Amino acid sequence: MTDAPLTLNINGQDRRLGAVPDAERLLDTLRWRAGLKGTKEGCRTGDCGACTVLVGGEPTLSCLLLSREVTDEPITTIEGVATVPIGRAVIKAFAEAGAVQCGYCTPGFVVALAAQLGRSTTRPDVETLIDGLEGNLCRCTGYRAIERAVELARKAVP
Amino acid sequence: MSGPFAHRKAINRRPVGVCVSFQLVQPATPDEAVGLLAKAPAGEISVLGGGTDLLFDIDQGRASPRQVLSLRKLPWRYARWEGATLVVGSTLPLRALEMDRRVQQQLPGLWEAIRDVGSPALRSRATLGGNVGRCAPASDLLPMLIALDARVRILGPSGVREHPIDLVLQESRKTSLGPAELIESIIFPSAAPSCYVWQRVQPVNDISQVGVATAFLPDAPHWRIALGGLQPRARRLSEAEAVLRSARPTHLEQELAAQEAARRAEFVTDRRATESYRRRLVAVMVRRALQTTVERMPGPRGPRKAAR
Amino acid sequence: MRSDAEPKARGAVEYGADLEAPGMLWAALVRSPVAHGRIVHLDLAPARKMPGVVAAVGPDDLRTLLPKAALEAERPVFPLQEIRYLGEPVAAVAAQTLAQARRAAAAVKLDVETLRVDARIEDIFPEWPSAASAHDPHVVGHVHARYGDVDGKFRTADLVHSETYRTSGVHQVAIEAHACLAEIRDGTFCIRSSTQTPFGMREDVASVLGIPESKLLVEGSWVGGGFGGKGSAFLEPYALLLAIASGRPVKLALSYAEEFELGRTTLPAIIRLDTAVSRGRMVGRRVRLLLDTGASLPGRDFAVGYSIGFLLGPYRTEAYEIEGYALQTNKPPFGPHRAPFAPQSVFALESHIDGLARRLGTDPIEFRRLHAWRENDRTAYDQPVGPFGLEAGLEAAARTAAVWRTGLPAGHGIGVACGFWSTGVGAGGEARLFLQPDGLVILEGEREIGNGSVVQGLAIVAQRVLGLPASAIRVQYGDTATAPFDSGVYGSRTLAALGQAVEKAARNLEKSLASRVGVPEVRLELKNGQVVVVAGRRRQKLVDLLTPAERAAGGLESHGKHYGAEKKVDASRVLEGTVYPYNDFAASVHLAEVEVDRETGHIGVVRYAAFQDVGTAVDRTSVVSQVEGGIVMGLGTALSEEMMWTPEGRLANPGLLDYRLPRIRDAPPIHVDLIEGFAGAGPFGAKGIGEPPIIPVPAAIANAVADATGTRVFELPLTPERVARALKLL
Repeated sequence: MTDAPLTLNINGQDRRLGAVPDAERLLDTLRWRAGLKGTKEGCRTGDCGACTVLVGGEPTLSCLLLSREVTDEPITTIEGVATVPIGRAVIKAFAEAGAVQCGYCTPGFVVALAAQLGRSTTRPDVETLIDGLEGNLCRCTGYRAIERAVELARKAVP
Repeated sequence: MSGPFAHRKAINRRPVGVCVSFQLVQPATPDEAVGLLAKAPAGEISVLGGGTDLLFDIDQGRASPRQVLSLRKLPWRYARWEGATLVVGSTLPLRALEMDRRVQQQLPGLWEAIRDVGSPALRSRATLGGNVGRCAPASDLLPMLIALDARVRILGPSGVREHPIDLVLQESRKTSLGPAELIESIIFPSAAPSCYVWQRVQPVNDISQVGVATAFLPDAPHWRIALGGLQPRARRLSEAEAVLRSARPTHLEQELAAQEAARRAEFVTDRRATESYRRRLVAVMVRRALQTTVERMPGPRGPRKAAR
Repeated sequence: MRSDAEPKARGAVEYGADLEAPGMLWAALVRSPVAHGRIVHLDLAPARKMPGVVAAVGPDDLRTLLPKAALEAERPVFPLQEIRYLGEPVAAVAAQTLAQARRAAAAVKLDVETLRVDARIEDIFPEWPSAASAHDPHVVGHVHARYGDVDGKFRTADLVHSETYRTSGVHQVAIEAHACLAEIRDGTFCIRSSTQTPFGMREDVASVLGIPESKLLVEGSWVGGGFGGKGSAFLEPYALLLAIASGRPVKLALSYAEEFELGRTTLPAIIRLDTAVSRGRMVGRRVRLLLDTGASLPGRDFAVGYSIGFLLGPYRTEAYEIEGYALQTNKPPFGPHRAPFAPQSVFALESHIDGLARRLGTDPIEFRRLHAWRENDRTAYDQPVGPFGLEAGLEAAARTAAVWRTGLPAGHGIGVACGFWSTGVGAGGEARLFLQPDGLVILEGEREIGNGSVVQGLAIVAQRVLGLPASAIRVQYGDTATAPFDSGVYGSRTLAALGQAVEKAARNLEKSLASRVGVPEVRLELKNGQVVVVAGRRRQKLVDLLTPAERAAGGLESHGKHYGAEKKVDASRVLEGTVYPYNDFAASVHLAEVEVDRETGHIGVVRYAAFQDVGTAVDRTSVVSQVEGGIVMGLGTALSEEMMWTPEGRLANPGLLDYRLPRIRDAPPIHVDLIEGFAGAGPFGAKGIGEPPIIPVPAAIANAVADATGTRVFELPLTPERVARALKLL
């Protein structure tokens, strides 16, 4: 096992995270070592999307990722997304659309949507954006309010 | 409580959950990777591509390697066109292929099959190499790779070899790769009108009860029909292919090929579907896939029907 | 806009899964590898020797840890001898890390004598139970009720319509799995938990462990979805015992596999319905229900006694006989899942009625209208029906159905289904308000579980009474020691019942202020961040009306209580067991349009409409969101969700890959029509809305499939293969 302390670049900062075991998942490192509990633990099998974070800008399931595999890529969690204008706009859209009920799945949705809206090249249409949320489960809202949030967010992001 | 049914039984309880520990090795070059594999005792090392399958299996207690070799740092995250041939590095995330317009246009069936793997966030890690290497019977990609006559470039201690996918896949979770061999790339020899259709309970992030891949290749014999969702692995149905004699088979020929496929394939009953339902589905879906493939044949003004 | 929406969306609130305390240990459960067996030997010593382990507790440790406890014999924390379902916890360990705890749990030596597994109710009773069956050891509940001349109605009927339906086990699957943290502070046993019922939790944990409630303190965390699954004591006794044994805070959180295997949810059932028809009307019904209640406890017949009334529906019933059996099987215990067993009952009843209407050549909507309860009708148990929007809902649905019908493509079908729900307004609750110089604080022991009833609903009730803007009202959460009592967030009761306590407290506050000003009534405003009391043209700052003592205490306090009376049932109709009264009726009328693939059996839901009797929509956004959420959850029950147990009692699909929840593309366009004007018992005439929208969904889909294909499917869920079989494709 590797005992070397692990450093990850999270939300723009290099974070020293101690002797992280090789088998540890990014989800656990973020939540219990970096104290970033906005990334939610759901199924741990890659089926619910609650643990979605950005790795190198791409939405990724942090439950199926080894922390020690991502030392050379920037990681952005919901806490980071919430500080940038696109992230703030998405959060506002979810709140205004009534798309937040229990809220446990919401950070995963926000991260997945903000990443798509943040792509510089093309601005995806609403249907493409919704397709991008196929991996995120919500048990409360029935998704219709989330679709309304997608429409609001797309309008809000220039 | 004790009675005729009671008996003592030795019970094995399998630890499930985040209790496995292993050593992660992350070689920087292919040679280093092969060297590490060659050194490791048999059965003690597992190869990690995107991790979406292996890490899941480790969590479920189905795999417990002492060492995990990550391919992440190897220079295999590429897709390049060499004329009409597409070469995909084994560790390129599926998401990158999905975003590639040319893949969508020239290999529409492959593009569809990729879109049918898990969810977008899962596809940002999952790889073609991983799908081949893990050889899961449930894979939606393997039937399409078979239908497209994909070739697999394998790197090992004695150099590089290249084989048709059908020879690499053996049975459920078993390939012809040696213990110190790695998949370097997957080669799609040519663009092809193609189609992938499936039946699932749930359209997204579900296991296909059956998957049908069809393709029309430039060289004879042109037609390919391959099925997934079978045990022990996806396979080609040459008998059904043989029914199709032209680039634009009639509806009757399509129907006959579909029936032949349903007759020839060997199905199993499991919790996802019964054997008889799978057979019924194949008869329907082979016909539908052929019809779509025909519609995708280039006409005077390009393909008549693109992938959605 | 809800005050919790933005903090939740940026990941800034703490759920049960997020709980942490200094020096905290992680716990893991030692779970049975067999579904039925007898413990021959349980040895925790190997676990205690494992790295990182601080404590391990099993049945033998309870006496030492809680010497004075009067443990419940009926409901042991750990099984003393008999294991009754696969995965049943037999011991628990706590270690420095979760991985260490899980490894240690796996090291526990458990020797089990296996016993015969009864995993399926059809194996227990291959034939319908006879009189002698009531004494079968598997029967843990038996309910039998009769009214009117049933035999006569069936004898003289023009037609008897008889069918048998089957339903499957479904799981709540809150995205946050169960989690709690237990610790001992100054001799008090403290539990923080993701729970719908902090006070119910306190009572239940105290009861299971045989300790006085005064020794326990429960604090709710934010809840990542409940749906009935996060109620009474579950993980908390284990965590608490480990905290006592280790002297350290202990966190216990379930994995999804454990979540599924430990169940406490809706289990399978077989329902037989016979309806007698005379002159085009339903005149008599026989209902027989076999309900799997899993490893439930003897005598707990609530599940069947509560469910069975749904099989008579919101319809006038001249004569009936209902008989239901709760059967113990080697599955995890039955537990509440959003409108417990109502969607399943209604699937059977509304499919049955729909088929009957078609058989009679009557329009299905008109046929229901003919029999629908109206205000002042009596229920099957002779309770009065209050204002009830069923007929209005059916009329609205008929108009929409007519529009959909025009130009309906081939292969499509339209289905209707009705349901009723009884809002749990009987369960009690209390409210405490503090009017402070800068705004109002509502103190609650409940946490918001997602539907908005606490954070938004209660705030709006106070807002409407007092006139303050939403920004000046804050809900503050307490624990069971500091917050006023409430029964919990369940049964669609929060706004309807607890809201009444808040309304009373707000009115008391208003009265107190009015008397201080010397006028009959006042209202409140917020001006420059200050609460202003307005009486006619007079305006006074609140601060100026407070006594020095109130100023020192920070504001004016006010209380309100609501303890509702249950409406009685006519006992003469009940021959055996207990039927449960229904209270405040809400109607649902749903329409679904589906497209059926006639070659594969795949169902696509094209569009959906809900006509929902809500009394008064106190907050439209929240209500619509509840309706949409309930419908999509119901689509899961209808189409894809199914817990699959093997004959050995093993759950074959304990995860989301094969337990399929609706995803974003599975949600059809939903038209929500809120029917107002049929007042419920809640504040401003509100009725509960948490559960009613899920109830008719499986039936509406099944009826639409029957409309599209002429074929009825008698079993839930309507997976493509089941539909294909019904269509005789294989």
